Amino acid sequence: MTFDLDRRWRLSEQVALRPEPFGALAYDFGTRRLSFLKSRALLALVEALGAHPSAREAARAVGVAGGELDRCRQALAVLAATGMIRAQAAP
Amino acid sequence: MAEPTIDTGCALACAEPDRAAEATAHSPAAEPLVEDELLVEDVSIDGMCGVY
Amino acid sequence: MSALASTGGGADAAGAAPAAAADAAPGGRLVDQFERGLDAPICLTWELTYACNLACVHCLSSSGRRDPRELSTAECKAVIDELERMQVFYVNVGGGEPTVRRDFWELVDYAVAHRVGVKFSTNGSRIDDERARWIAASDYVDVQISLDGATAEVNDRVRGPGSYATAMRALGRLAAAGASAPKLSVVVTRENVGQLDGFKAIADAHGAQLRLTRLRPSGRGADVWDELHPTAAQQRQLYEWLLAHGEQVLTGDSFFHLAAYGRSLPGLNLCGAGRVVCLIDPVGDVYACPFAIHDQFLAGNVRDRGGFAGVWRESELFARLRAPQGGGACGSCGFYDSCRGGCMAAKFFTGLPLDGPDPECALGHGETLLARRDRSTPPPRPSADHSRRRPARRGPAAPPERACDEDPIAAFLRREGVRR
Repeated sequence: MTFDLDRRWRLSEQVALRPEPFGALAYDFGTRRLSFLKSRALLALVEALGAHPSAREAARAVGVAGGELDRCRQALAVLAATGMIRAQAAP
Repeated sequence: MAEPTIDTGCALACAEPDRAAEATAHSPAAEPLVEDELLVEDVSIDGMCGVY
Repeated sequence: MSALASTGGGADAAGAAPAAAADAAPGGRLVDQFERGLDAPICLTWELTYACNLACVHCLSSSGRRDPRELSTAECKAVIDELERMQVFYVNVGGGEPTVRRDFWELVDYAVAHRVGVKFSTNGSRIDDERARWIAASDYVDVQISLDGATAEVNDRVRGPGSYATAMRALGRLAAAGASAPKLSVVVTRENVGQLDGFKAIADAHGAQLRLTRLRPSGRGADVWDELHPTAAQQRQLYEWLLAHGEQVLTGDSFFHLAAYGRSLPGLNLCGAGRVVCLIDPVGDVYACPFAIHDQFLAGNVRDRGGFAGVWRESELFARLRAPQGGGACGSCGFYDSCRGGCMAAKFFTGLPLDGPDPECALGHGETLLARRDRSTPPPRPSADHSRRRPARRGPAAPPERACDEDPIAAFLRREGVRR
């Protein structure tokens, strides 16, 4: 598992995020790919990414920890791989 | 629509693993995942039946 | 479900930071999540007009003649405004031939400006060089060219004389203009299933992405379904071909009923009708899906007081579709979990019960049921038919009424031209 929680990340400008009872839908207008975020915790984390200097701090802020953080981390890796979230240069 | 398209041959349904600077592509096939555990699933916007 | 911001901070009905512990069942199969429906469609089909310059024998919307009650430009924009508010991500605009509407390009522009991605489906007759360049320059507009034969001989038997040439011309112009990945969309039939490699070659030669879709017995399709739908052996052949080509070839999730063969094809693999997709027709009627244009699947009209959102959220039909569906006669089949009983529209228009097998059930249960069906009760027919005239039965092309019928544009202009 190599997703770097200690970088600052943000959602790509081309992505529309739509909360849903099961989590969220994320559509990338550039790639025409649709992603299903299957937990509200993951949604909260993704929404918080841009506002914190690291993904780890964003997770802390929204109360995601332990096993749940591990699962979210896997999911973040997938979102990064498809370009839905982008790593930011350190401030 | 704010940002210009990233040029990756976008309309094709394949992920660009090197888009994000540090993250490595996560390959679901590389680990024995129980389907239930993966919190993200992605599909083409054309992956829904009932659209002609 | 009304988050207007595209990233973070969007207000949502449940309030600010959802407690992680409140997750019902994080993960799990999408099929299970979606069968209950969503507060807004993910994408939808919007038929802008019933007018069409062609008369394809299998037309799912029985198009040809414009309906005088068509939505006006202003009404169309109001629908787009609603789609924006609801965050519908993508609209597949079709018809009829949508480009024959004078406001077509204006509406596409309007949708894109309002954060609704557009794909439009066309026979190519109005894609000139200038339009090809316009499409190529639009990052958020996708174009889909319809073609049902890799040769003119096979294609034109279904879509009419000259239609192959028109489609190829459009593909050529789009390629020359540098359009990024137009879609080449094919309805798979008994007559073209042997041409799959040919279709792929045409798509590759034009920088296009191939899309194979299912022939359904909808609209005029009902009249030709018996003779045109793939045989069981051909269906298996198609399935293997699709598996081999993976995500390179789109299907609009048309073939989820084939999951019963073994591996599922890419896609959600479920019937999206009334749950994640629907149809808006040219007069504003909202149907569960474009293959189910029949009163039985009519949910309401965008001109109703609550608009499109009201229909999507409150219609009785959609509430019924979103309630848990038992397997019915298929419940005891080990494959029901994969195929979900197949396509509602395919069952409906072949006169099969909705709680039983798909007519093209991979295990052959549908075929058996069809053979036993009482032929004296004809299957349901759509209430409206916008065909210009019933197209001649296929086979050798029927002799044209006049020489100018060879050119579909001329025939169209002759019928519609006075007003233009």
